[in-house]
Amino acid sequence: MTDNHTDCIPGPLDQMPARLETLLHIEKVGKEFPMNDGSTFVALKDFSLEIQNIKDKPQIVSLLGPSGSGKTTALRIIAGLDKPTSGCVLITNGEGQHLRPVRVGDVGVVFQRYPLFEDLNVLHNLIDPAVRSGMNKDEAKEKALRLLDEFDLVKQGLAWPLQLSGGQRQRVAILQQLMLDRHFIILDEPFSGLDPVNILNVIKLISNIAHQHTLNTFLIITHDVTSALIISDHLYLLGRERDKQGEPIQGSKVMKVYDLIAEGLAYRSDVEDLPRFVEIRKEIRLVEFPKL
Amino acid sequence: METSATSVATPPTNDSGYPLREMVRVYGAVGGFARSHIVIGWIVLFLLVWFFNPIKAMPYPSEVLRAFQRMWNAPGSSGLVYNVYVTLKLNIVGVLISSVLSLLISYLAVIPLFQPFNKFIQWLRYIPIVGFNLVFLTLFAIGWPMKVAMLTTGMSFFLVTSMTSVIASIPRMKYELARVLGYNDWHVFYSVVVRPTLPAMIDMIAQNAAMGWVMITAIETFNRTEGGIGSQIYAYTSTNQLAEVYAYLLIIGVIAVIEDGLLSLIKRVLFPYSLVAERA
Ligand SMILES: Nc1ncnc2c1ncn2[C@@H]1O[C@H](COP(=O)(O)OP(=O)(O)OP(=O)(O)O)[C@@H](O)[C@H]1O
Ligand SMILES: [Mg+2]
Repeated sequence: MTDNHTDCIPGPLDQMPARLETLLHIEKVGKEFPMNDGSTFVALKDFSLEIQNIKDKPQIVSLLGPSGSGKTTALRIIAGLDKPTSGCVLITNGEGQHLRPVRVGDVGVVFQRYPLFEDLNVLHNLIDPAVRSGMNKDEAKEKALRLLDEFDLVKQGLAWPLQLSGGQRQRVAILQQLMLDRHFIILDEPFSGLDPVNILNVIKLISNIAHQHTLNTFLIITHDVTSALIISDHLYLLGRERDKQGEPIQGSKVMKVYDLIAEGLAYRSDVEDLPRFVEIRKEIRLVEFPKL
Repeated sequence: METSATSVATPPTNDSGYPLREMVRVYGAVGGFARSHIVIGWIVLFLLVWFFNPIKAMPYPSEVLRAFQRMWNAPGSSGLVYNVYVTLKLNIVGVLISSVLSLLISYLAVIPLFQPFNKFIQWLRYIPIVGFNLVFLTLFAIGWPMKVAMLTTGMSFFLVTSMTSVIASIPRMKYELARVLGYNDWHVFYSVVVRPTLPAMIDMIAQNAAMGWVMITAIETFNRTEGGIGSQIYAYTSTNQLAEVYAYLLIIGVIAVIEDGLLSLIKRVLFPYSLVAERA
């Protein structure tokens, strides 16, 4: 355990953190869908991505891409919910473990539409999965109450999911995944539909949780450039290549990678004021994103 | 039902200023008070139509009332109380057994091995149950056992169809949520398939109870030894005592409404979340 306040220091790092073993290895994943007109749609092609364990730090990686670029498709494959048409996803399940093909349940997922168990109240939406995964009942209840308190949901503990606001529902969905002590969590569009204050809250929330354990890895799927730059240590741009006429070619892949540790933009709370931050944001917004 | 004269001057706040207009608007906002008036209005209309109906084959309310008196005073197995009791018992036992059986068959449909069996049961609802009279006769003793068997079998064909459609409409997202949370097959079965569909299952039982009444009267016509409303209706029809027939039909209607209310009460008490509407 490391204290999260010392991790987010305002100022440059003394030294570059060392990169250790690979935690997630995605190799040349392709995904095709049969279309309603009988043709085949290539959503992903040669999609590769690698997340390495960074010494004494958690890993927060963003996958950035425009709508329809295949982010959710990639998430479903990484979570083991869908099989790729080609390629593979390998993952380590815990400290010092070997890479092995991903299985459903290895990775925590906060879905784009925040599904919850509608027939359970908020508290039991948190307790039930934890207890089923083997946690002691009292321990689960204690943890759930603590998390609800931490994330301003105490009053909602006995509410049904349908009675929650959009933002409350999102937080419950995130907490539900956090109950299970997972080291790997993917979030699909965690910033969409939130006001600026709540976007910052979610950024803080994710970063705090991430820093509670250096083995924690968060993969954030988003099209919010600023938030992605603030929170991540690596940023992957997902998009399609173009042919000579400038027409996009089917099949998204990683078009560009930003190593924000090397850029000096990772693990800093004052990152938004840095000239390099502003520069990269501009580059992504005005140059890279329109090309995707 | 709330009825107070003062309410007329001060309508409940959830009534709009023009309750009459709200009554004919799409999703008009009428409060409980206005709603009760609407119901009363319909009952009055029904009674008026009944009083002044030109159809000869329909006895007037006064005749039905006298029929009630005669049936109430009739001795033993030809009396009202006895026959209602016989049929009500059959109805309750039939609904209970067929509900349990149908839930079992429907829930098992999430397991591929049992799907053809489920489909077969659904298909059987097209086959008139009375066609199997002889089969039931050889398997069950005539009277109570045979009646229960026919009713539960016949109702189950319909219940399984409705219940299976409830299961088919479970959003895939819920299943994926459970899998991502590491749920095993049994956890998924309970948390995604069974538990969240129970309120809808109660609705299906309520819907199919009506089908049960149609079957009961038919079944009791073939198994008249014990009596019951069905056998009484059969007897009174053959002697052209239409007032008695209508009296029994009225009783069936009242019992059905009470049972419906009970089921919806059970649903509200056991599954309060099912009352919260989904918002866009
Ligand atoms: N089951 C499917 N059948 C056919 N096409 C699909 C299917 N799922 C996804 N697609 C297509 O794949 C492409 C990528 O979809 P995906 O949902 O992954 O996009 P996304 O990047 O998550 O977009 P958004 O930001 O809008 O959520 C889209 O063109 C979509 O129409
Ligand atoms: Mg998406």
